[in-house]
Amino acid sequence: MNERKETAGKDRAAFHGGGFRLASYYWQRMARNRLAIFGLAFIIFLALVAIAGPFFTPDPTEVDFEAKNMPPVGFTITQSVYDIKTDQFITTRVSGTWKHPLGTDRKGRDMLAMIVSGARVSLQVGLLATGIAIIIGTIIGVMSAYLGGWIDNALMRFTDVMMTFPFFLLLVLIVFIFGPSLAFIVLAIGLTGWTGTARLVRSESLSLRTREFVMAAKALGASDGRVVFRHLIPNVISLIIVIATLSIPGVILAEAALSFIGLGDPTVPSWGIILEEGQHSLTTAWWVAVEPGIMLLLTVLAFNFLGDGLRDAFDPKSNV
Amino acid sequence: MQSYSRNNIILRVNDLKTYFFTRRGVVKAVDGVSFELRQGECLCLVGESGCGKSVTALSILRLFDSPPGRIVGGTVVYNSTDLASCPDQELRKVRGKEIALILQEAQSALNPVLTIGDQIIEQMKIHLPLSTDEARFKAINLLREMGIPSAEDVLNYYPHQLSGGMKQRVLVTMSLCCDPKILIADEPTTAVDVTIKAQVLDMFHQLKTKRQMSLIFITHDLAVVAEIGDRAVVMYGGRDVETAPVSEIISAPAHPYTAGLLECLPDLSREMSRLNSIPGMPPDPSKMPPGCTFHPRCPKMIDICRTQEPPLAEISKEHKVRCHLYA
Repeated sequence: MNERKETAGKDRAAFHGGGFRLASYYWQRMARNRLAIFGLAFIIFLALVAIAGPFFTPDPTEVDFEAKNMPPVGFTITQSVYDIKTDQFITTRVSGTWKHPLGTDRKGRDMLAMIVSGARVSLQVGLLATGIAIIIGTIIGVMSAYLGGWIDNALMRFTDVMMTFPFFLLLVLIVFIFGPSLAFIVLAIGLTGWTGTARLVRSESLSLRTREFVMAAKALGASDGRVVFRHLIPNVISLIIVIATLSIPGVILAEAALSFIGLGDPTVPSWGIILEEGQHSLTTAWWVAVEPGIMLLLTVLAFNFLGDGLRDAFDPKSNV
Repeated sequence: MQSYSRNNIILRVNDLKTYFFTRRGVVKAVDGVSFELRQGECLCLVGESGCGKSVTALSILRLFDSPPGRIVGGTVVYNSTDLASCPDQELRKVRGKEIALILQEAQSALNPVLTIGDQIIEQMKIHLPLSTDEARFKAINLLREMGIPSAEDVLNYYPHQLSGGMKQRVLVTMSLCCDPKILIADEPTTAVDVTIKAQVLDMFHQLKTKRQMSLIFITHDLAVVAEIGDRAVVMYGGRDVETAPVSEIISAPAHPYTAGLLECLPDLSREMSRLNSIPGMPPDPSKMPPGCTFHPRCPKMIDICRTQEPPLAEISKEHKVRCHLYA
């Protein structure tokens, strides 16, 4: 709720001695929800890994056929390898080494490095696409509610049309037309994913608009812009935070799904791309598909737990 | 009480008509109201619920929802500008700066997610060329003047941390911080208990005497009118039925409706078993009776009341009434 305040700089914080009270109140409410704290911790961990990880891991695109299909540390597999000298397949036992803690794929690329850089891609996609969707949805929702009349009708019917549109097919179409570039995928997800936000923000703003303080602000000479940005949007921020948190996993999954069906950006090692490559070697190297899968699962769970926790914390009617 | 200058009219509302065009028909919430506000006086708008008091107040600053509401006739002249027809931008400069409105519900008229300080300071910065520090300084002084202890701390509070009376004072502070010439208060004493009511009335009385402000005070409570008002406009069915100095309204009401309202007041000097009330209900504003809107409830109804709207009759220069009995 008070994110705006927290970023507003030191002098402002000092000026409003109690400015953090609301934020700390909500924090206390959320801190009682263990799953939400777990989710938050995992997301912070993931963000740190995504930011700092690539400096410590080898180049994820570095190919090394000498060390292909190495299992993760602690696992030993039997492989049948073609031996040039004897001109026949021989069975060897391979164990994971600490050089490649999560193993390697069929080109000998380090899985840990790929997972780490995949985290960066997935988080980027999740945050950027959700950011675009939330901004568009909020603007359309608030405008619709505040301006009312035929503008409201036009915007909401447009939203309805967008909602009925099969979103995944649209994504496929966009990727097909513009090519599999990550920037286009982010834009496409962002430009199609705002409809739910717009509706929720609109319904919340509709009830806020009739509240006395909006009228009071107008009575004292506030312009429409001021009413919207100072009085409506800060009051829907809590809702927006919850929607955003809960829609990030959907976006991450959408990108993974696109990549999985071969429409991802092949130059960027996202989790979906790794997963897609792993499915071809499931019998020889199961970990290539399983590892990004587990990461996706944990990330999606973490965001969902955090979102649920935030929703309960922001809801004055729930007793957490 | 008559210290104000008789000719110094600061706001003139003339035949104001505000209709709401809803799906179920036209609601004539305000249907021809005229009054003038003089410099430094307290004018009370009196009437039952639904008689158009609040909509009149909102119409002065054009604050009702539009659509469905629209001012279909009349003028609101302030400083030779017609507020009923001027462009929105001009009107915004008047709102809060020249004419401030205090809404009915003090409890919800403050934004719950902004601190009191944020809201007051923001309000000042809309209209005045002040820095944040200057605005803050002024806000603290004003809050003190309104009788709020430890004003510096209150600036950092959120609305839910204040009591009802405190919120009312904060709202008045917000309305006053740009030094408006006119203050419109919509039922400021309705939702508060008796002690706070006395404090609020006292506060408005001081505004009038110390700051020479012109007040429009909307209430249904004739006791409050007697306490604070200089002149009163009695409203019924969207019209002004009687305009007179408060002393005359109380001692010699002309309109049968005003007389009926006064009889509803409990008289402590007599023994009474039941309170009087005016028979019937206020009319539905979408289905106003023809002729005089009060005729179905009027004890002195004559035939002409059913068909013809009563003209405005002058009993004296200061006392006007809209009733066929005086025409």
